[in-house]
Amino acid sequence: MAEYEPPPGSVPPDRVGRWQSRRGQDRLAQLLFLAPAVIYMLAFFGYPVVKNFLMALQTYSTSTFYTGEAPWAGLANYRAVITSSVFSKALLNTVLFTAGSILGQFVIGLGLAVFFRRRFPLNGLLRSLLLIPWLIPLIVSGAVWRWILDKDNGALNRFLAAIHLAPGHPGWLTSTSLALLAVIMVNIWIGIPFNLTILYGGLQDIPEDLYEAATLDGASGRQRFRYVTWPLLRPVVSVVLVLGVVYTIKVLDVILGLTNGGPANASQTIATQSYHLSFVQFDFGQGAALGNILIAISLVFAVIYLRANRRAVDE
Amino acid sequence: MAIPVTPGRRPGRAWPRWADTAVGVGILAVLLFPIYWMINVSLQPGGSAVGTPWLPVHLSFHGYSTALSQQGRNLLTSLVVALGSVAFCLVIATPAAYVLAQFRLRFAGAILFGVLISQMIPGIVIANALYTAYTDAGLLNSVPGLILADSTAGIPFAILIVRAFMTSIPQSVIEAGRVDGAGHLRTFVSIVLPMSRNALITAALFSFLFAWADFLFALTLTTTADVRPVTLGLYTYIGTYVSDWSSVMATAVLASIPAIVLLVVAQRYVAAGTTAGAVK
Amino acid sequence: MFRSTRSRKAPAALASILAIPLTLTACGGSDSGSDSGGTATLRVLDYYSNEPGRTVWQKALEACASQAGATISREAVPGATLIQKVLQQASSKTLPDLLMLDNPDLQQIAQTGALTPLDTFGLKADGFAKGVVDASTYQGKLYGLQPVTNTIGLFYNTDILTKAGVTPPTTWEELKTAARKLTSGSQYGLAFSAPANYEGTWQFLPFMWSNGGDEKNIATPETAQALQLWVDLMKAGSVSKSALNWTQADVNDQFRAGKAAMMVNGPWQFPVLDADKALHYAVVKIPAPAAGRPIVAPLGGETWTVPQTGNKDKQAKAAKVVACLNSDESQVNLAKQNQTIPTRTALLASFSSANPNVKGFADQIPTARSRTGELGADWPKAATKIYTAFQSALTGQADPAKALEQAQNG
Repeated sequence: MAEYEPPPGSVPPDRVGRWQSRRGQDRLAQLLFLAPAVIYMLAFFGYPVVKNFLMALQTYSTSTFYTGEAPWAGLANYRAVITSSVFSKALLNTVLFTAGSILGQFVIGLGLAVFFRRRFPLNGLLRSLLLIPWLIPLIVSGAVWRWILDKDNGALNRFLAAIHLAPGHPGWLTSTSLALLAVIMVNIWIGIPFNLTILYGGLQDIPEDLYEAATLDGASGRQRFRYVTWPLLRPVVSVVLVLGVVYTIKVLDVILGLTNGGPANASQTIATQSYHLSFVQFDFGQGAALGNILIAISLVFAVIYLRANRRAVDE
Repeated sequence: MAIPVTPGRRPGRAWPRWADTAVGVGILAVLLFPIYWMINVSLQPGGSAVGTPWLPVHLSFHGYSTALSQQGRNLLTSLVVALGSVAFCLVIATPAAYVLAQFRLRFAGAILFGVLISQMIPGIVIANALYTAYTDAGLLNSVPGLILADSTAGIPFAILIVRAFMTSIPQSVIEAGRVDGAGHLRTFVSIVLPMSRNALITAALFSFLFAWADFLFALTLTTTADVRPVTLGLYTYIGTYVSDWSSVMATAVLASIPAIVLLVVAQRYVAAGTTAGAVK
Repeated sequence: MFRSTRSRKAPAALASILAIPLTLTACGGSDSGSDSGGTATLRVLDYYSNEPGRTVWQKALEACASQAGATISREAVPGATLIQKVLQQASSKTLPDLLMLDNPDLQQIAQTGALTPLDTFGLKADGFAKGVVDASTYQGKLYGLQPVTNTIGLFYNTDILTKAGVTPPTTWEELKTAARKLTSGSQYGLAFSAPANYEGTWQFLPFMWSNGGDEKNIATPETAQALQLWVDLMKAGSVSKSALNWTQADVNDQFRAGKAAMMVNGPWQFPVLDADKALHYAVVKIPAPAAGRPIVAPLGGETWTVPQTGNKDKQAKAAKVVACLNSDESQVNLAKQNQTIPTRTALLASFSSANPNVKGFADQIPTARSRTGELGADWPKAATKIYTAFQSALTGQADPAKALEQAQNG
């Protein structure tokens, strides 16, 4: 593509001309390298978003599929979803779910990453096996977790009762005060492999001699973490957190599989509510509007975070 | 953090290495309990979910025989789609990552921001839009169609990771290649790619996982049994009358094996630390 | 069966994260099927994707198609994905020639204009149970014919009841007493399914309707009393709190494992229960609010429709297949093999005497109601209000009257 060879017998161009064509060639090569990715991104992300955006401004029902008629609704869909009685609860749950999941995944993931920095037999194998939760289709892990968390016969309650920790058989999925906690727990479980992998990679990149120097200076384990590990890991941490939030905020299948947003909306989030509007009540306009609100929240978070991060790096 | 940070224990402490292994196994046991439960149910004869014993005392392999006879083809489909998606992601993402990492482009920032934003779009929004587009393009029920759709998670991720790694390749190495008369493509293929091996493997692994675990696109973009990934195959077991949980879980176990093998093999190359500069 | 029995919750919910083609396509469009005369191939879409139902329907369809001078090409998708599939096909103008719909979905699809009124082909629903006809009728026109139906009843474990000296309850009071007596250790007296979806609503309906409650306005004392019954049963510990998250299949698992002495469920569970030789059970009607009051149970089952494909010849043949599936002989045959009940009222008496295990269900059919008979395409909104209310009351967020009022007002 970029390998230009002058045809045999052609007159060599003069210096300036060659430089210009070379530079033009560079430009062209760069564009050709970039083009497939850009085209793909526009087709598979840009187009759906534009479509979703338009749909939120229309009254879009089951009939629309057959007749093609979707009357213009202006901002009515947005008004309807924001004033709905579930909205504030769903918003709060979304925040709690995201914050709780990220915190749990990150702390456990980091702890495990640090642990696996040690050299011990079977380290690599154990670390690989920890990624398994990620490989299990959610249909399956959702069903398994539902049995484990079952109030009467679930493995967790049987275990807790056996060690006399919670003999009362708490209703993990059926109590309004525990359901959100339960879905957060399962989501943490699913997210640990991602955090572990990336944080472990980040730790591997920290030069060994820095630790040795710190140890020579008499730094304790805690101090080494505080002054060596953490500052050097920061860039990786920021990636994990930003991607984590962005992925978590739109989590749908975990919640639908475990509690379906219940009981009594106790684990309903913006994502699940948007799904319910579109695919249970077939009000696609409102579903799209709520989906767009979700994207907007995510976007605002990312922008704020990136700004803050850039400032921190600049200072 | 309860665990002190020490890469490699200093000698002289009474904490043998196998003790670390024991701790590791303990952690694994807790975190993989649901996986154990899955295997446990897959070996139970009843196929019911109530009061499953802690151990599969009455071993039954009927779940596995059903799974193998009915889901063998779907497993193969999943494998083809996931590997196809890996190849596609790398082919599309790495050249872009290279240009974004090594050349000053006016719109590079905008592209990277776009890539990040793409991660925020819920899968259903994409799936909905793709269905109609696919109907017109004749991509429904096709392996290429699934590969394209399943790459929606892998491509942005691969661009971010690989770009982050490639920024650390010294400009001089690339210029040296160019001076030797290599074209852009050859420089890229014979110099840049080999240097980025670990980043490529990481990107490939993640792309594989994303595609392997996909259920949404499989459900949306296939309508017949001809092209059916195993995630969707599993779903067909959970049906109207009989929910044969032994078979469901046996299929899930079988479906995990190729992925686990791949993981163990690829793990040593994973250089996820290259994400350091991915989002900046 | 009907929407909510099709699958366990987790997968059903996951599966419905589906694709619906959200584009606007112009109206019209016609199937350019070229084969007029001779043997036509009819495309059929239904959700009997699992055995034994899959084969039962395949045989019935093939037999009826050959009578109509056609062959079939059938696609059976998992239950929870059918509606999405239909909407996809409606927008891409690829609707099948013969479409099976869960009966509460018919009006919603008829409203889009995608279905053909059956009187075009001279089909009528004379002699069918009223509730069944209501469900298949939209704006006064018949759009579907349903050969077999089902509903829910009260299953009880005969061994457990005999041992405890309890007779099957027939009234709410008796139900509460029996359930309490039958609860001991890890065994609950009763199990029902009360999740936050249409399946839960379906299970609540016989209690609500039999007490005079109505979906037009659920903030009434009648509905509140029915909800109070559920709350009382759960508060007394006779029903596990897990019911809030149980599908009907989960309920069945509990019953099968002896963890529940009685359950509210439907005849589609017979094959699963019968596979367990050690289990002895029987079925009676859902208990009434008071002795002598009739039970108003909800009607389940699927209705067969002829979509607007634009191909007159194939439509006519599809209509013949619908008529054939609904003949007396076919109804009895399908009902027998699918553990369901014929919809022609004249067939009921002889059918239930020949199949005593469905008697408890068949007895409820003449008075049973369809879910969409009253509200039509607005049913989903009302169904959502109902489950929102009972979830709120059962979790103790509000007392029944208050919960119903909040849900009614959105």
